[in-house]
Amino acid sequence: MSFSNSVIAPIIHNIINFPRNNAFYINDVFYNYEEFGKEISKIREKIKSLDTNSEFIGLIVNDDLQTYAAIISIWLEGKAYIPIHPNQPFKRNKKIIEQIGLKIILDSNKKPIFSGYSIINLNELKFKKNLLTFNKKISDEKILYILFTSGSTGNPKGVKINRKNISSFFDSFWSSGIKINQTDNCLQSFDLTFDVSLQSFLAPLIKGACVFTVPHNEIKFSYVFGLLEDHKISFGVIVPSLLRFLRPYFNEIILPKMKTCIITAEACSLELAMDWMKCIPNSKIYNYYGPTEATIYCTYYKLRKNENREINGMLSIGKPMKNVKAIIVDKNNRILPKGKKGELCLSGDQITPGYWKNSEKNKSSFFIKSYKGLNLRFYSTGDICSIEKDNLILLYGRLDSQIKIQGYRIEIGEIEFHSREFLKKINTIVIPFEKKQNTELAIFIESKKVDKKIFFNYLKTKLPLYMIPSKIFLLDLLPLNPNGKIDKIKLKKIIINSD
Amino acid sequence: MNKDQLKMTLTRIFKKIFDDQSISLSNEMTASDIDNWDSLSHMLLISEIEDVFSIKFKLKELNKLKNVGILIETIFNKIT
Repeated sequence: MSFSNSVIAPIIHNIINFPRNNAFYINDVFYNYEEFGKEISKIREKIKSLDTNSEFIGLIVNDDLQTYAAIISIWLEGKAYIPIHPNQPFKRNKKIIEQIGLKIILDSNKKPIFSGYSIINLNELKFKKNLLTFNKKISDEKILYILFTSGSTGNPKGVKINRKNISSFFDSFWSSGIKINQTDNCLQSFDLTFDVSLQSFLAPLIKGACVFTVPHNEIKFSYVFGLLEDHKISFGVIVPSLLRFLRPYFNEIILPKMKTCIITAEACSLELAMDWMKCIPNSKIYNYYGPTEATIYCTYYKLRKNENREINGMLSIGKPMKNVKAIIVDKNNRILPKGKKGELCLSGDQITPGYWKNSEKNKSSFFIKSYKGLNLRFYSTGDICSIEKDNLILLYGRLDSQIKIQGYRIEIGEIEFHSREFLKKINTIVIPFEKKQNTELAIFIESKKVDKKIFFNYLKTKLPLYMIPSKIFLLDLLPLNPNGKIDKIKLKKIIINSD
Repeated sequence: MNKDQLKMTLTRIFKKIFDDQSISLSNEMTASDIDNWDSLSHMLLISEIEDVFSIKFKLKELNKLKNVGILIETIFNKIT
């Protein structure tokens, strides 16, 4: 199905046919589908009036109705949005704006936060008439958004996602068994610069449900809990780090109205997921995995009440979604048999057409391979996985975390697994670093109360000496990046500064 | 401990957690008024307050702490 039919048409249908139903709850205020439709129309009229051929429009992604409406307006006009986060460093944003060559930026702040660009203040627009018709003939090859992820050269790299990618994603998503209806209250706790946000607000809007957002200036875990409890959220997408914040309070949490909970964005320990399951006794829990390059999620695992698949204590990422093909390859891109570890590579209509103006990355990250009689284009994820006999995928870690120490190939996940066994429910992570051209390991533990000597003595009973970290850091809390994942760059800085 | 003394102790805790000696607390102050007041520093703040005042917050109480004034009231009710 085309993007127009699978995403745009149902949202417009809901605006026209269910105007009084709530579409959003933002900063303690409800907005219904009619109000959402009016915002879309206002912004669309402005975009139409612009004298520009530019395919790309910058969008300052605030937490308000105008920002969400602007995304739909931009898409109705067949254009793409480039999200710019108001809380990210100005220099990084400037690099993004310059890379794309943005001419127009939409901003819903009362006082626009950028100067020197052509800024359209969304607060100054007046509603005249509904502009909700859509052109079904827009090519599905057209770009919908470009998300920037951190690049190793220091320049953020842009991942292009087109209409076909998103329609294919939703086809996969609904086929994985997810059900949402008009009575659902759905959580959207992600920054709009992170692609899980698109699933979190588009899925409810497609089904006519209500989206509950988290304001930028709120303490996220505590505000999310408030939403879950006070508004009886029935569909929620959550990162493991948020669950780790809530964990000390799990015995106070009981959310019988939760029907579906998705855990995503980083590896989740089985133990954390099983403890969370007790807080949401009537909910299905899924673990979804996916790089931005494969459009939001591409594999999923549905948790069972009793036995679950895991490796080193971390949940399986399950099987490929409907429109995704997954293979495991060796260094020379030869397909490995079941049970063998290698790099996970993905193919199908969810895979990005490529990085923005980055021929080097486009060459190194994609390859064509004959698979089951077809010549397919694969994306190399950089994740080490195996596909097991039951077709479930186990994720061992990043390719760059599979390292050699004193000539031995080691798996960081194994060290983390044994550390967690000793530390019980304390969060921990192992980071490799280079010292005098040797690779060494540092372990970070989220507690200042650990006895280092007893801990190391325990590890020595479980692991060979070359796998015992040479440095240990006890922190009150592990730092997180804006997407809620553990910030490994900050941790590496701590290691460097400790010498 | 009266509320003024409590506020002084709390100010010391804020200065330590946010590493900023210029912090002066007011009842209306919220997370958006202090740099780096996010989920991480909030957890550090809460755990320091719990240690110093020998109290324990419930998650429902954390969720209702909309500003410093409510935080002071909540602590005061727990220690008196």
